[in-house]
Amino acid sequence: MSQPSHDDHHDDHGHQSRFIQHHYDDAQHQFDSGKLGIWFFLVQEILFFSALFVAYILYRHHHPEIYAYAHHYLDVKWGAINTAVLIVSSLSAAWAVRCAQLAQRRGLIACLVITIVCALGFLGIKTVEYSHKVHEHILWGKYFDPCVASAGNHLLNKGNNCPGVKTSVVWDGKAGKAKSGCLEGDYDQRPAEPGIQGKCEVVEVVGANRRPIEACEEAPGKSGGHGKPAKFPCYELALNPHVCPAGPAAMVLYGDHGHHGGAIEVKCEAVPAPAAPADAFADPTHAPSTGERTFAQQKPKSKHELAHEFASGPPPEHTNMFFSIYFAMTGLHGIHVLVGVFVFIWLLWRAIRGDFTPDYFGPVDYAALYWHLVDLIWIFLFPLLYLIH
Amino acid sequence: MSAAVDTNASYLTATRGWKSWAYTLDHKRIGMMYLFGILGALLLGGAFALLVRMELWSPGQTIAGKDAYNKFFTLHGAVMVFLVIIPGLPAALGNMILPIQLGAPDVAFPKLNLTSFYLWVIGALLLLVAVFTGGLDTGWTFYTPYSLQSQTAVIPAVLGAFVLGFSSIFTGLNFLVTIHKFRPKAMGWFQMPLNLWALYSTALMQVLATPVLGITLLLLFVERFMHIGIFDPNLGGDPVLFQHFFWFYSHPAVYIMIVPAMGVISEITTTFSRKPIFGYRFIAYSSIALALFSFLVWGHHMFVSGQSKLANMVFSALTFSVGIPSAIKVFNWVSTLYKGDIRLQTPMLYALSFLIMFTIGGLTGIFLAILSIDVQLHDTYFVVAHFHYVMMGSTLVAFVAALHYWWPKVTGKMYPERPAQVAAVGVFIGFNLTFLPQFVMGSRGMPRRYWDYDPEFQIFHRLSTVGAFLLGLSLFGVVCYLMWSLKYGTKAPQNPWGGTTLEWDAPTPPTVFNFPEPPEIHELYNYDDLEELPEGGWVRKPSTGAKSSSGH
Repeated sequence: MSQPSHDDHHDDHGHQSRFIQHHYDDAQHQFDSGKLGIWFFLVQEILFFSALFVAYILYRHHHPEIYAYAHHYLDVKWGAINTAVLIVSSLSAAWAVRCAQLAQRRGLIACLVITIVCALGFLGIKTVEYSHKVHEHILWGKYFDPCVASAGNHLLNKGNNCPGVKTSVVWDGKAGKAKSGCLEGDYDQRPAEPGIQGKCEVVEVVGANRRPIEACEEAPGKSGGHGKPAKFPCYELALNPHVCPAGPAAMVLYGDHGHHGGAIEVKCEAVPAPAAPADAFADPTHAPSTGERTFAQQKPKSKHELAHEFASGPPPEHTNMFFSIYFAMTGLHGIHVLVGVFVFIWLLWRAIRGDFTPDYFGPVDYAALYWHLVDLIWIFLFPLLYLIH
Repeated sequence: MSAAVDTNASYLTATRGWKSWAYTLDHKRIGMMYLFGILGALLLGGAFALLVRMELWSPGQTIAGKDAYNKFFTLHGAVMVFLVIIPGLPAALGNMILPIQLGAPDVAFPKLNLTSFYLWVIGALLLLVAVFTGGLDTGWTFYTPYSLQSQTAVIPAVLGAFVLGFSSIFTGLNFLVTIHKFRPKAMGWFQMPLNLWALYSTALMQVLATPVLGITLLLLFVERFMHIGIFDPNLGGDPVLFQHFFWFYSHPAVYIMIVPAMGVISEITTTFSRKPIFGYRFIAYSSIALALFSFLVWGHHMFVSGQSKLANMVFSALTFSVGIPSAIKVFNWVSTLYKGDIRLQTPMLYALSFLIMFTIGGLTGIFLAILSIDVQLHDTYFVVAHFHYVMMGSTLVAFVAALHYWWPKVTGKMYPERPAQVAAVGVFIGFNLTFLPQFVMGSRGMPRRYWDYDPEFQIFHRLSTVGAFLLGLSLFGVVCYLMWSLKYGTKAPQNPWGGTTLEWDAPTPPTVFNFPEPPEIHELYNYDDLEELPEGGWVRKPSTGAKSSSGH
């Protein structure tokens, strides 16, 4: 592979590592050049990620409500564990450099193994998180559709939300369900669309065909605990008195996406008010005008209840953008972690072969620098995506 | 391959066989492979340009319909920008010359250099795939949302540009480290040839700007592929954000093209005027200034894209400031010519063409930086003419100048001088005939990217088409006689032009590690040290002592 003449020069540097290339003056020259090179490469990497950070800032500036809402669907626990895992791996990578400098071959191998294991652990946890999102249809852009069950039935047709004008509900008594209609009051923040004003269809409740829902029931313990809903709530207007006997209400449907034949869990709640979802339940004046039969509660709520309600309000428009950015940023970061795994496996192979000496340990140093950057990017991603307040 | 390679032999003949080229780590061979690839791409991009000009010979359909026309101008732009003028000066000629001008045996990372070359090849192949699988009709800028909807081969083209971006980044990184770590101790920063200052600024921009194009194109690819929505208004994304990201790279990219051209012109102007360069430090600093300004002006591409008034005013003001370092350079080159012993050999003819056309291209850039005027001229032929004066009239002309200047050094053969001078004049006349009428019709409202036009523009379009064919013919002639000279050219002397930079102290063609012995560092741009030989070429006067410990 290499130019044959390179070999001629090895005799000139007989006392040095055989990995010192001919066109460098000495080992130090090669090391310094490589170090400057890797620093320029890291600058390049930062700029590569920068566009995503700019996109993040821009969309957050324009749509803070999306971020405030959607981050609840990321699991802080897994994120925190992954942060710790990466920090440990950064430590072991730095330690590996020290071992290489001191010619501690076994220490170097151990440190590299720890780094690889941590990196794989990070990817494993990320896979758990991702597969959860895939299961829930909480994906990017076009594929963000948590209200679609695996069978393809719509739990909530997002195009059918009432634009907020008063119309009468048309009830089909024969079929036992609502044909069309809207509730009075702003169910959704969406501006009125001229085409469908006052004529929005009420979507059929999935599962109702197969297993008619007879009564509203609270679904205790389904909120995932700690105010973080485990599943993405899909809102449906509950107009059928058989479903919500207490009167028209927004019905929270937690789709289980096909696990039990498309069945759904139902929980009736008062229709949220147009303002920020957090205020909707706290301020009874925003409750729908159907008055006494709503679920507006008067008693003070616990923090956990409020947090849950905050999260379980109707999703703001374009909530998908949060997950687009989430997947773009964590995905690109994940690719970098994966590349790091291969680099460290290569280093491990070379370390076992005994390539690295105090004279020649550049690759370990450069890979560790790269790894610290990958770690650092995650340290920015974790609070920016998971810890929004 | 055996180890018995004579490192004192010419790099061209030290090893033989195609593998000795395909696996080479020699910067000169890599540069040579780039050069041939780029010349091929130049012919392809030029063919698309001529198709564009043929379609515009008459109003209405001339040779192809509007869809084909959209593909012609898109592919002309994409091939010329990504395959020709961005890699042309740094990756091809810079690669060959940069280490020799430093007196170094190679670039800092020869394997990375070869990687860059193969990335260029992969990127070029992907663009070819795009050409042959439905073409591309988005314009070379890939603007969203159209690029999300176009039925043409957007995906291979975007991937190709992405890969080419990394080729460019790695070349830049390599050059930065080489200049930092391989400068001889006797060569301080201000004893570097101005070409190296230019290549350094260029490399800085390549490393700092190209990654943003990389991520932008990656997002566009993911957008097409997986509908992630960041640039798609239907999903809540922002298509103008694409324009910001794109121009954050692509404005510096324009400077990636022009700054190395300025470096070449600095070398040629002083060599062929037999006079030290005027204002060395100003030229050096202005290269760095251009690299910095290049990152602050991208918004001037979006004056009519719904940018805020404040942003428009700031970007307009910053764009004016680009005129300062550019003008500093032009004034210094003109001052270098003043009272010089000017030799009108081919490289100098191109350098003088550059001076004229860069001045026109630069001044019309100032017009376009004025907000009220830009609103009128935006997306007209005025803009087309302006950036062709900079990209083609300046960068490509400087590339051809550099090609003639260093051809004897890297091939060991002289090109035929008389045909070359004729071709240089042909390029100058052809270029101006092509693009001067475009200023006129642009200012009268002829919009760019249109395949059809009102009959009153016909005279300008016809002049332009005639000029384009003259230009194409001249450049084709250049390629022909250069190839001819590889076999039949006379043997080149070591220093045919009397240059003072280190490459003229290296053997012709250079040996495998460029210099058999580490070269002495002489005073830069001191032409009194040299005397002309009657049989051609220049040598150092025996009496002049080398200044190996200190610069000038």
